[in-house]
Amino acid sequence: MGNIAIKIENISKTYLGSLVPAVKDISLEVASGAKFGLLGPNGAGKTTSISILTGLLNYDSGNVFINGMELKKGYKKIRPLIGLVPQEIALYDTLTARENLRFIAEMYGIRGKQMRQRVDECLDVLGLGHNGHKQVRKYSGGMKRRVNLAAGILHKPEILILDEPTAGVDVQSRSMILDFLDELNKQGTTIIYTSHYLEEAESLCNEVAIIDYGSVIIKGNIRDIINSKAEYTDLESVFLHLTGRKLRD
Amino acid sequence: MMKLLTSITKETLLLFRDLGGLLLIFLMPMVLVFVMALIQDSTFRKLDETRLVVAFINEDKDSVGFAIEKGLIESDMIDIVKEYDGRYFERETLIKLVNEGKYQVGIVVPRGTTDKLREKAEYLVEKALEDDNDPVVKPEIEKSSVILYFDPVIKHSFRETVRMALSKLTYGIEARMVFDRFAMRVSEILDTETILEYDPSGIIRLEEHNIVDKHTEVLPNSVQHNVPAWAVFAMFFILIPLSGNIIRERNSGSILRIRLMPGSYVYTIGAKILVYLLITIVQFILMLLVGIFILPLLGLPVLELGNNVFALIIMAIATGLAATAYGLALGSIFNTVDQAAAFGSVSVIILAALGGIWVPVFIMPTLMQNISLVSPLNWGLEGFYTIFLRGGGISDILPWIGLLIAFSLVMMAIAYYFFSQKKN
Repeated sequence: MGNIAIKIENISKTYLGSLVPAVKDISLEVASGAKFGLLGPNGAGKTTSISILTGLLNYDSGNVFINGMELKKGYKKIRPLIGLVPQEIALYDTLTARENLRFIAEMYGIRGKQMRQRVDECLDVLGLGHNGHKQVRKYSGGMKRRVNLAAGILHKPEILILDEPTAGVDVQSRSMILDFLDELNKQGTTIIYTSHYLEEAESLCNEVAIIDYGSVIIKGNIRDIINSKAEYTDLESVFLHLTGRKLRD
Repeated sequence: MMKLLTSITKETLLLFRDLGGLLLIFLMPMVLVFVMALIQDSTFRKLDETRLVVAFINEDKDSVGFAIEKGLIESDMIDIVKEYDGRYFERETLIKLVNEGKYQVGIVVPRGTTDKLREKAEYLVEKALEDDNDPVVKPEIEKSSVILYFDPVIKHSFRETVRMALSKLTYGIEARMVFDRFAMRVSEILDTETILEYDPSGIIRLEEHNIVDKHTEVLPNSVQHNVPAWAVFAMFFILIPLSGNIIRERNSGSILRIRLMPGSYVYTIGAKILVYLLITIVQFILMLLVGIFILPLLGLPVLELGNNVFALIIMAIATGLAATAYGLALGSIFNTVDQAAAFGSVSVIILAALGGIWVPVFIMPTLMQNISLVSPLNWGLEGFYTIFLRGGGISDILPWIGLLIAFSLVMMAIAYYFFSQKKN
């Protein structure tokens, strides 16, 4: 299991008070260093899966292994290995970008000169070096997304989980974020990525799993999936074919 | 420890950049103390140490009139006013002003009162020294009167206060006049220039002691009630910014990131408790300073702190902790800032009303006095009363501290339960 970053075995989860499982019997494997896309329509179970992967949500049955360690038993050791970029702008909007990042870095035990260097590095690489002193609430949507991303990578996690990291940003910010993720992956970071932008997933990821109604309906190498049927021309056509055109809430 | 300090720094920055929250925390209670202490001052004085303002006319302008005037001026309970619009009262004006409620009591010592009393004293002395062969004929002496006018709405107790004060004065004057007359006649009979001196202090002295212990119901003045009362109220209002902080942190997703940080959730909650607890203590100190230095400038009494500073600090910490824990619980239960703010503020106002913050418990009906015991704001207030009014120390406030700590623990347990439910 040495080169498997994430292994999910038959995970099921039903929220308290709900009769319908949010995810049911999901199994997945993500290799170390992979760029893995977790795709699906609204309410398919993507965010639930990510919350389970990060240990933020209890699951009812099954097992999750991160770098070979069982999540529930080895959570203390696993936590520093994971970076999370949630769908929400998970920042304090009355703090400056620099204050937000300093807080997060120090909570990960990065202090002093090393902390300052790392914060500056993350701000610079995401094009925020000159705006680090501004309160986050004064940022544009794209800038907020970039700080949100910086906050997830400050502690140099081995596995970076991103939930819709480019939602609502302009083309320039999106392009920068995707380039940055690509670069991060080249440096060895395993990337788990969810998005509704399928062309974005197609260009970034090498493997995907499409889930719907809480179950995995297809998984594998993107090229292999697209080539598996004549009617599949791109990832979007695969997606629509498998999940249908019915509107989701 | 470093993580705790980091979290404390973050919480402090967040708090100090929330201007609305700061105004709510610091300004609102001070305004409440000013307004409520001023409004309630006269009410508290009436309960305890009211000085009646009495309109007074001395038509007699002789011994009795002057003696009554002097006695009233020296009284602890009565202030006399002799002029209106720069002119001495006339009887019609006095009656009119009392009737209009401008003054609750009017006193008139009619012309000739001293003369009538003198005649009566003379008769009594002569009668006492009467020679059987030369009986003293009782003269036709009209009874002398001191006339009292009362506002019809005056409380019975006030009416009695004035009556008692005047009775005491007139008996004293009467006795003195008889005594002086008698002493003069005795000197004449004995053919001596030595005249007995009247001793107005009397023979029987009333010796008063205030027995104050923790069971004594001591009535506070408006400052001693309002300063601790609104300080406790303000401390509990900390729940608005605190619960808002927790909910915003959760709804923004920051909490997800924090929960992923090693061991950080405990530090985050710990930092919140410490920072907001410290804020409640600062609130309390500021309110005390207002009571000591600012309210007296408005003519209100100075706040007396009692004599046990350590007990005061412990009491403030226990109250602040209860308030912080309540905010923590609400932040964990509710999903939106609006829900928590609405429930939180209404619940604190109800608990304040029940707990004797708005209206002191001692003037509530018995049923409400019993109900007040369920309010943590009442526990805080009673603890401060014990220190300020009854001279209580640590052992005296232990029951209130115990209740506040127990309340804090229950609130923290509730918060823990709801926080852990978010993982399900």
